[in-house]
Amino acid sequence: MRINIDNKSALRREFLWKGILGLGVLTAVVAVALFRWGGAHAGVRAALEVAQDTAPRFAHHRPPTKGSETYQYAYPARRLPAEAVYDPTPPPPTPRNRHVHEYELVITEDVVHEVAPGVHMPAWAFNGKVPGPVLRGREGDLMRIKLINRGKLPHTIHFHGIHPAEMDGVFELVPPGGEFTYEFVARPYGVFPYHCHSMPTNQHIHNGLYGMMIIDPREDRPPMRELAMVMSAFDLDRDGEADFYAWNGKAFQYADHPIELTVGEKVRMYVMNIFEEPMAPHIHGNMFHLIRSGTSLKPQELTDVLTLGIAERAILEFQYDSPGPYMFQCHLTEHMELGLMGWFQVKPKAERAARSASQAHTTTGAGN
Amino acid sequence: MQSKWTVWASFLLPVLLLGVLLIWFWHSTGGLRFEAPAPIEAVSYERVVFLPSSGTVPERIVAYIRNVGPGPVTIAHVQVRWFSRASWDFSIVPSPTIPRLGTVQVTIPYPWTEGEPYEIVLFSSNGIPFVHEVAIATATPQWSARSFGQFAMLGIYVGVLPVFLGILWLPFLRQLGQRAYGFLLSLTIGLLVFIGVDALADALEQAEHLPGPYQGVAVIVIGVAVSLLGLYALSRAIEARQQARGEEMSMTIAYLVAIGIGIHNLGEGLAIGGAYALGEVATGALLIIGFMIHNLTEGVAIVAPIVRSEFGTGRWRHLIWLGMLAGLPTILGTSMGAFAPSPLLAVLFISIGAGAVFQVVLEIAAQMRREHGLAFAQPANVSGFLLGLAVMYATGLFITV
Repeated sequence: MRINIDNKSALRREFLWKGILGLGVLTAVVAVALFRWGGAHAGVRAALEVAQDTAPRFAHHRPPTKGSETYQYAYPARRLPAEAVYDPTPPPPTPRNRHVHEYELVITEDVVHEVAPGVHMPAWAFNGKVPGPVLRGREGDLMRIKLINRGKLPHTIHFHGIHPAEMDGVFELVPPGGEFTYEFVARPYGVFPYHCHSMPTNQHIHNGLYGMMIIDPREDRPPMRELAMVMSAFDLDRDGEADFYAWNGKAFQYADHPIELTVGEKVRMYVMNIFEEPMAPHIHGNMFHLIRSGTSLKPQELTDVLTLGIAERAILEFQYDSPGPYMFQCHLTEHMELGLMGWFQVKPKAERAARSASQAHTTTGAGN
Repeated sequence: MQSKWTVWASFLLPVLLLGVLLIWFWHSTGGLRFEAPAPIEAVSYERVVFLPSSGTVPERIVAYIRNVGPGPVTIAHVQVRWFSRASWDFSIVPSPTIPRLGTVQVTIPYPWTEGEPYEIVLFSSNGIPFVHEVAIATATPQWSARSFGQFAMLGIYVGVLPVFLGILWLPFLRQLGQRAYGFLLSLTIGLLVFIGVDALADALEQAEHLPGPYQGVAVIVIGVAVSLLGLYALSRAIEARQQARGEEMSMTIAYLVAIGIGIHNLGEGLAIGGAYALGEVATGALLIIGFMIHNLTEGVAIVAPIVRSEFGTGRWRHLIWLGMLAGLPTILGTSMGAFAPSPLLAVLFISIGAGAVFQVVLEIAAQMRREHGLAFAQPANVSGFLLGLAVMYATGLFITV
């Protein structure tokens, strides 16, 4: 096809006009779209403003958030101080060449346990803490755990897992002032409770003599930020109904002092239920990979809530994609409203670098 | 002179020695070693108020708490139960630590809803829970002209109107013969004995709920003794004066009955007003109807002593006074019960009322014997007495809350 100059210029003109027209239409479409989006956004803003307007009146329908004026559950100046918060970080996996893992657990019966801000109860405890410290070992290695009884009653430690009868901590009572060293080969790998099994066992467990034991597989699981969470409850007036429920022994402590995470940070949470009711750990705004009892390397399920029966435990693995406060709670509402709730404060990635520069190992609260 | 000093010294010596002993004991505990295995703490809920939200102020539950334990108590935590418990925000004035017998006001901004049952749990710093149950939450009446009017009307319905209606029976009663009059007075005694026993039982029941240091039963004994003996002394004094002047005693007795019933109605009003204010009254209309019928008999009791009296035109005015004396305290009672309830005052007034009623019984019995020569132990009088009890029992069926 031959195109002469005139034709060419006519074509160019036509192209120009069509171009201008097209741009105009495009601009109009974009403008309308932007306007509508802006309108919708304004609607959201207006709704938020309404929410703000009614906030003081409805403030107490909100869950407790640290730093807000409507912070609940803690009368002014009666919040748990940072140093009283139970460190949720378990000890790191033991080196693969250690082969023997030694622990010393001291039982005392005169511990004053602050179960909720300002509310104290007499407790029996391993190493003065409720729950006791997280014990960690590796499958096939020797666990050597020395029990020192500084109480007035005989005690034992009963470990879950595979071990000989004489290491089961049921018949061999350790008398007041006595000592006993439990030795067994750690197997299988997984998450296990340990607790006193002296009779009456209900009293010996729920006065505070319990804790978590993590047995790692021979080959380490992928490294992640780790949290150990014991779910338990406290019946202060012994009427058969718990008065406080808690992650790691203290009601609302991680609501008062949220656990800081970072966007994209992989988290492995070990959870265990040691109370006499089912517990339903649930994380907000997320799903977790579930490894029941911790006895597998591969997750069995992707979910966001799990029912832990009595003394059951699990590993939950997850990461957050966007920053903000996310609740983690027991989905039984009474458990949640009596203390089994807390917050993950998820920070943007930029803050992670700054934080890891200032501290080598990120933890919430002070030492355990 | 010397003997006077000896008297004083002999009086003061034990007092001084006791003082020395107390000071020594306070500092050394006298060699006694008593340690409580657990902290002993007790508080009582004096009053629990449910407030609706207004403007930007949220709903609140306000609990008035008194420390009735042996030492100070610190309130550290609050929970509210609906079907399960929830820990909740709270504030305390003047201070979370309450001295012995001190009071505080605990405000809980809990979004309560009308008609729901709640339970309030306060935890001391030693982890001891103190529980208070509320069967049905309803907004507690706040003081205003309108709400006062409501409770005053309640008092008029259950106290004033029935008494006056009862008094209106007087013309009919005046037609009765001697025998029927004995029957009537016996019936009145039956009514009053029932009222008195019922009031005592009520006082005992309420005394159970009083905190230990208030010694509820002792309050009842004091209340009954004060009114019984006080009115006895008063009536003797008036009697002596009237006998000196040669006047008739019957109107005086009518006034004593009116005073006794008035005090009783004050206590009754406290109970009714309190029950209404707490939303504990499920069958409001039935309760009012029950009290109207029940208290009609009080009017009869008041005029019974003067049925046989001579009535000049001026004396009719007395009937107004009698009715007001007996009925108006109900209004005071319902209002106080609603706006300033005090379990201690309720027990005290109910027992004062009981004592007054018993005194009136003695007075009427004496009048029967003295002025009308009526022996109580006659079939007509005994059956009158029993009918009085039966009438009160039957009408009382309606007012059991």
